[in-house]
Amino acid sequence: MAKKPKIAFFDFAGCEGDQLQIANLEETLLDVLGHVEIGEFREVRTGGKGPYDIAFVEGSITMPKDEERLKAIRAESKTLVALGACATIGGINCMKNFLGPGVYRPEVYGDRARWYETYDARPLRAVVPVDAEIHGCPIDRDEFLRVTKELLLGKKPWLPDYPVCVECKMAGNVCRYEFGELCLGIITRAGCKATCVTEGARCWGCRGLAPHANMDAARYVMEDRAGRSRLEVQDLMRMYLGYTSTTL
Amino acid sequence: MTAYTVYMEQLGPLLAEWSRRMGVFVPVQIQEALYDFVPWSEHEEIAWDYDVAYNSIKRHFFPPRENLIRFDAAACTATPVFEAPDQLLFGVHPYDLKAVNQLDQIMEGGAPDQNYMRRREKTVIFALQPQRVAATAFWGSMGSGHVDIGFDLFWTKISPNAFYVEVGSPRGEELLLACGDLPEATLAEREAARRERTRILAEARGQGLKYPWEETPRLLARNWDSKLWRHKARRCLSCGSCVLVCPTCYCFEVREEMDVDMKGGTRFREWDGCMLPSFALVAGDHNFRGQALERYRHRYFRKGKYIYDKIGELGCVGCGRCVRACTAGIANPMAVYNELWEAEQHES
Ligand code: SF4
Ligand code: SF4
Ligand code: SF4
Ligand code: SF4
Repeated sequence: MAKKPKIAFFDFAGCEGDQLQIANLEETLLDVLGHVEIGEFREVRTGGKGPYDIAFVEGSITMPKDEERLKAIRAESKTLVALGACATIGGINCMKNFLGPGVYRPEVYGDRARWYETYDARPLRAVVPVDAEIHGCPIDRDEFLRVTKELLLGKKPWLPDYPVCVECKMAGNVCRYEFGELCLGIITRAGCKATCVTEGARCWGCRGLAPHANMDAARYVMEDRAGRSRLEVQDLMRMYLGYTSTTL
Repeated sequence: MTAYTVYMEQLGPLLAEWSRRMGVFVPVQIQEALYDFVPWSEHEEIAWDYDVAYNSIKRHFFPPRENLIRFDAAACTATPVFEAPDQLLFGVHPYDLKAVNQLDQIMEGGAPDQNYMRRREKTVIFALQPQRVAATAFWGSMGSGHVDIGFDLFWTKISPNAFYVEVGSPRGEELLLACGDLPEATLAEREAARRERTRILAEARGQGLKYPWEETPRLLARNWDSKLWRHKARRCLSCGSCVLVCPTCYCFEVREEMDVDMKGGTRFREWDGCMLPSFALVAGDHNFRGQALERYRHRYFRKGKYIYDKIGELGCVGCGRCVRACTAGIANPMAVYNELWEAEQHES
């Protein structure tokens, strides 16, 4: 590598938990950073200016004025990577979309609602073209490292297109449905090593829908076979998967 | 064939001795009515009467993820990676052993799979006569209730505190006698073991195919266009659970990852399966089985015909794991084959 690629981190509506995950990589991070020059990184250092070889963008777009800033970042970045569920799929910010602005604006801002211009939450790709996505809430640090290395090599980052069940079987877990519990692993994109099920919980869908997700079959599994109510299933699916053209 | 009698109280010292030499894995109850193989320790209570192990034992010689090659990108050199720990699987049921024997045949054929073969060579298998049949199992009707080869020892519990142990290899016999000589089994004990086997086989045959398993390849050949495939595949999540849990499925994908210093890296393989959407995806975005229906049908042909055409036995041993793993309830080979069979009986 002749010249060190310049990378930067930006954030929109989100908790910055993903940048924290990266900062937590510490020593490993330093190894990778040896190969790059850091522009903006709110959690690690500030300052720096474009153009950038790789821009990692966290958070979802929740206000019209976010769009201008995101488009400006896009314009000065060769590769734009969406980082974390809020950026890749809209994430939990999209829960408000089901309420409508007439409800969520006064709920959040009270009588000052008209001072703040907010609209339905959306992922980055709803506003600008996105070159790569690092899914998860929060992201998986190993996956972040791998994707970064692949981008530095000029490769298209590998992204599983199968559901979480695959990794859950590899881990040897007992399926939640054995106990009649719900789990969104059947429709959610893998890549997290089924970490939530392995830890004794269930999949909440934070990595978004797998490209071939069969929603009718999933409803049949959750409602008809596991016997859960339509409402419970809907609540679970609306938590992370809210930004979709499918009716949830 | 040589056979010995082993009493329950002799097992503790033997297990302790074996685990000094290698990793020992035994079936235990992991949750209410669920069993799996775990590393043995003196605190583990072996579930002698387990019905089926939740996970297939194939992961012991075909791990979900395995390194194959370490490479140095600058020097353009590569070295193969072989990991093959000594291990003993104690308590393997015959249908699962049949699956291992089938895997052995397939992995050895053509260009032998070196990583698999080395792990297999280091693996000792003590088979165990089942005492119960899982509700989802149908091995009794698939010709998998009995195996003659592949085990180092074959254990049959003939009384609350005694086993009839058949020797299958010198390695097995040596391990059995590791703590001192044992009495050779008597004719009466041999007879007790035979009775136990007959009892359980009769029970197992009660749940299964409604026709002789040898008919399956011909049954399938007549049913490529059956409506059943589309009907069932509508509910398919393309989640791969049915093939990943299967003891005879062996597909994998190969990928690479660089080290963080970006100098060297590792090539590894990970489980893959024909039920996953991009399994048959090739260059130019062509997918030979792009539809759930095609993948769904393929799996039954694979289990019931293609493997048979190759090696003369079915690719399904009837363990029933896929039946349980499929959250949509459509992955049961016995149910599918029986349905096709019955539909034909109505037509004629
Ligand atoms: S627990 Fe969830 S992710 Fe795991 S196999 Fe079951 S449905 Fe799939
Ligand atoms: S198991 Fe589901 S919710 Fe948990 S990290 Fe993976 S995709 Fe996200
Ligand atoms: S197809 Fe199903 S029943 Fe047959 S061997 Fe595989 S997992 Fe067991
Ligand atoms: S048949 Fe069942 S287990 Fe197999 S891929 Fe389809 S839904 Fe998943």
